[in-house]
Amino acid sequence: MEELKKGGIFNISDLRNVRISIGEIVEEEEEWEPMGPHPMPGIATLRNWDFMLLNRYKPFYAPLCDMCCLCTYGKCDLTGNKKGACGIRMDAQHGRIVLLACLVGCSAHCGHGRHMLHEMIKKFGGDVPIDFGPEVDVEAPLTRLVCGIKPKTIRDYEKVFDYIEEQIVQLADALHTGQEGSYRDFESKALHMGMLDSLGKEAADIIQIASYGMPTSYEGGGPDVPLVDVGIGTIDTTKPVVLVIGHNVPPAADIGDYLTENGLEDRVELAGICCTSIDTTRVYKKAKIAAALGRQLRVIRMGIADVVVVDEQCIRADILELCQRVHSPLIVTNDKAMHGLVDRTDDNPDKIVDDLVSGRAPGVVILDPEQVGEVAVKTVIQMDKKRKGLKLILSDEEFKYYVNDCIQCGNCTLACPNGLRIGEANQSATSGDIKPLAGLFDLCVGCGRCEQVCKKHIPIVDVITKAAYPQVKEEKGRMRIGRGPVWDSEIRDVGAPIVLGTIPGIIAPIGCGNYPNGTKDAWLIVKEFAERNYIVTLTGCMAIDAALWKDEEGKTVYEQHHGRFDAGGVLNIGSCVSNAHIHDAAIKVASIFAGRPLRGNYEEIADYILSRVGACGVAWGAMSQKAASIATGFNRLGIPAVVGPHGAKYRRAFLGRPDLKDDWKLIDATDGSEIYFEPGPQHLLVACETVEEALPMIAKLCFRPSDTDRGRSIKLTHYIDLSLKYLNAYPPDWHLFVRTATDLPIANKNELLKKLEDEHDWEIDWKMKRIKEGPIRGYDPSFNPTNLRRLIREKKK
Amino acid sequence: MGMEIPFDVANIPGPEMGEVAPPEVIGSYISSAKRPLLVVGSEILRDDFFLETAIEMGRKGVPIAATGHSIRGFVEKEYTENVSYYNLHELTNCLRDPGWKGLDGKGNYDFVIFFGVVYYYASQMLSCIKNFAIDPLIRAVSIDRYYHPQARMSFMNISPEMEEGYKDMLNRLVSSIK
Repeated sequence: MEELKKGGIFNISDLRNVRISIGEIVEEEEEWEPMGPHPMPGIATLRNWDFMLLNRYKPFYAPLCDMCCLCTYGKCDLTGNKKGACGIRMDAQHGRIVLLACLVGCSAHCGHGRHMLHEMIKKFGGDVPIDFGPEVDVEAPLTRLVCGIKPKTIRDYEKVFDYIEEQIVQLADALHTGQEGSYRDFESKALHMGMLDSLGKEAADIIQIASYGMPTSYEGGGPDVPLVDVGIGTIDTTKPVVLVIGHNVPPAADIGDYLTENGLEDRVELAGICCTSIDTTRVYKKAKIAAALGRQLRVIRMGIADVVVVDEQCIRADILELCQRVHSPLIVTNDKAMHGLVDRTDDNPDKIVDDLVSGRAPGVVILDPEQVGEVAVKTVIQMDKKRKGLKLILSDEEFKYYVNDCIQCGNCTLACPNGLRIGEANQSATSGDIKPLAGLFDLCVGCGRCEQVCKKHIPIVDVITKAAYPQVKEEKGRMRIGRGPVWDSEIRDVGAPIVLGTIPGIIAPIGCGNYPNGTKDAWLIVKEFAERNYIVTLTGCMAIDAALWKDEEGKTVYEQHHGRFDAGGVLNIGSCVSNAHIHDAAIKVASIFAGRPLRGNYEEIADYILSRVGACGVAWGAMSQKAASIATGFNRLGIPAVVGPHGAKYRRAFLGRPDLKDDWKLIDATDGSEIYFEPGPQHLLVACETVEEALPMIAKLCFRPSDTDRGRSIKLTHYIDLSLKYLNAYPPDWHLFVRTATDLPIANKNELLKKLEDEHDWEIDWKMKRIKEGPIRGYDPSFNPTNLRRLIREKKK
Repeated sequence: MGMEIPFDVANIPGPEMGEVAPPEVIGSYISSAKRPLLVVGSEILRDDFFLETAIEMGRKGVPIAATGHSIRGFVEKEYTENVSYYNLHELTNCLRDPGWKGLDGKGNYDFVIFFGVVYYYASQMLSCIKNFAIDPLIRAVSIDRYYHPQARMSFMNISPEMEEGYKDMLNRLVSSIK
């Protein structure tokens, strides 16, 4: 033992009563980059960065409920920022609720990712290489940035999920009564949760891309991914139809595999709703996208599906009841959403099929994706024959009866999230004009609350569907399948124009379908910015909804625009988890284009993005807790987001105040001097009432202090032009973004100089066409903006 | 005065819910306010009457914050005297700050009237004012065709067939502003 203590050589066979345990075997890691200051940050590690953000973009709370009901002291009335029995104030309580929402959202993404990892290791083994082809060297920017890990195989994600899961538990702990009491600290924790959410999404998508061979930068990937059919009208209901719903693709992938292996690809339709549909098109060529989340209730009620297969997230809680109503057997495939059904995973597949087809079992749980493939396909073939005679769209007589039965009580309107005037539309239909009712189809968010309160028990959803049926049958769009990562080579091409501002911004429409005014807004946002040479990167339901509308030539935005990550591109990045690649694109601009160190260096990269990368998320129909954590993850990385009016119900925004001068100070890293700067970006999270208001707001949130005068001129052109086009007025704050006369749009430079002189009292040198006095700061091409004092360059002695 | 069902029926915030008030009462509060502000939203564009009502209030000296894309209507009517575009989130964020200088640089407001803002967005902003614009107190009211429990005072829910009655209420409100 003496030798052991000295660290000398010993002979194991000489040892008695000694237990040797071998922990994790750490292989010598390839030296790919020195470790940065913050690998695997804990709750408090990036708090200073968060507080810098929170000082500039102060949390704004709009309570949805004035009470706290979380412990037995309560209910506590917190109205007027009062304290509850535990001492928590309304503002802190709402920080707490925001953290809770982010916890739920982050857990959904990370639970999905961990589940995916287990499934893929079981199916393919842990050594599946992470190789995204010749154009993608930086394969996992968030993983490298947050964890300091360069993953080589999917097994490497075990460590990543270990880290995330520990952080989630610690953050959840902070929610308990008698823990955190400061709203700012709750928000710092929510930002931490948002960062974990983005990391979890990246992990989930990388694992599935690597395992299933989804598109990357190998041939046919990236900008060259194929187009796929989108829309209820594209589903061939003369064939048996399997409808997959949710976010976790293995069961759907195995249905595709079973169809392929059995030569049934042309005999059976595999269609989907929500993100599972997007991911199914990444693994099975014949898959179709029936609809986004907002149409879920209606697609099922229309009876399109002969079998419904659900996995996880955004599935209706009443899915079993809905399926029973239209005689579609339900197969649930994930232990997080089992809907009270019997687990038949270990049963004989043919016996399960028999029970489903006969109706003895309305649905089953099958947790083995391969078995789902077999059962779903065998069932759908039999169910198709059985369901052939069903008439699930109302007859003309039924339609007439119901619209005449409406007593205009208005209960449906009070129950409708969008306050739709359904009774009024019914009344028009009684006199033969069904257009108002048909028009409600797209405006409806598909919740079904109206039917529950109808005194006459009118199946309102079916009535609206009947009125809109001719247009619904023609709902046929095209979109690119999810392309996954943005290529390093694309970043090299566009890094400079993005940072300099000559590509005016990256616009990221993402998320759910809780739109204030229908899906057409999604299309308009994409169209407007793609035509103005922004880069538009979509994911999730908004990517689907944008594909439902066409221009005068009958082309969707995906057909009208190229799919490169370049000016004017319209990219479907993929499902919800894929939107981590949008974070990744911004990170790659900092690391690949600007050469900033990536490994374990979150704060510096976020600082770079906030000051230089003109990106803006748009969650126009944000609904879920996932959308809350997604936006919060964007925000911590320095990317602002605009939400629709329903987004105000998230209760919290991050809003900047241009009138508070001291909130807008940056450091010039070149010499350490402090500079007052224009409010770019002005907010981190803001809601707009209408799409007309959102369009200029999105353009505004793309201003960055690093813009060159040419870039600023382009951004100002779009900001002013969108405002004139949609608000019929100059934006009241456009002058704040002018630093020098060369920032002004060339086409109307004189007019704008005159406005600066007349309306804002700026001093203009008309002879030289120069601004003498007025701007917050002048334009300095050498300005090296940072919020971090540690990045000030040491002066050469 | 009396209680009413929220327009979004589940929107029951807590112990403090706004009262239903007749137009003349709201009008008298506007008249006695030191610094009233009319906040209009995109729904005023659905009928010229509502835009004209807002302009009439503006002419009576109530400054207007035009949120959403409602500014379009004022520009088209060539009424720009005391109207400013503001995003509603931005505006409410300023309202909760006693130190805010206001649209005219003369300070914050003490009485805010919501008119024509999408219901649920307005409700959230009224909630912020109710809960956080408390010292000094800002009273926020709604003159929409919805009952807004987050407002201090509100009209009741008004069905489409009562549209003319609603317009009459707005006329009475404007007339009662001195």
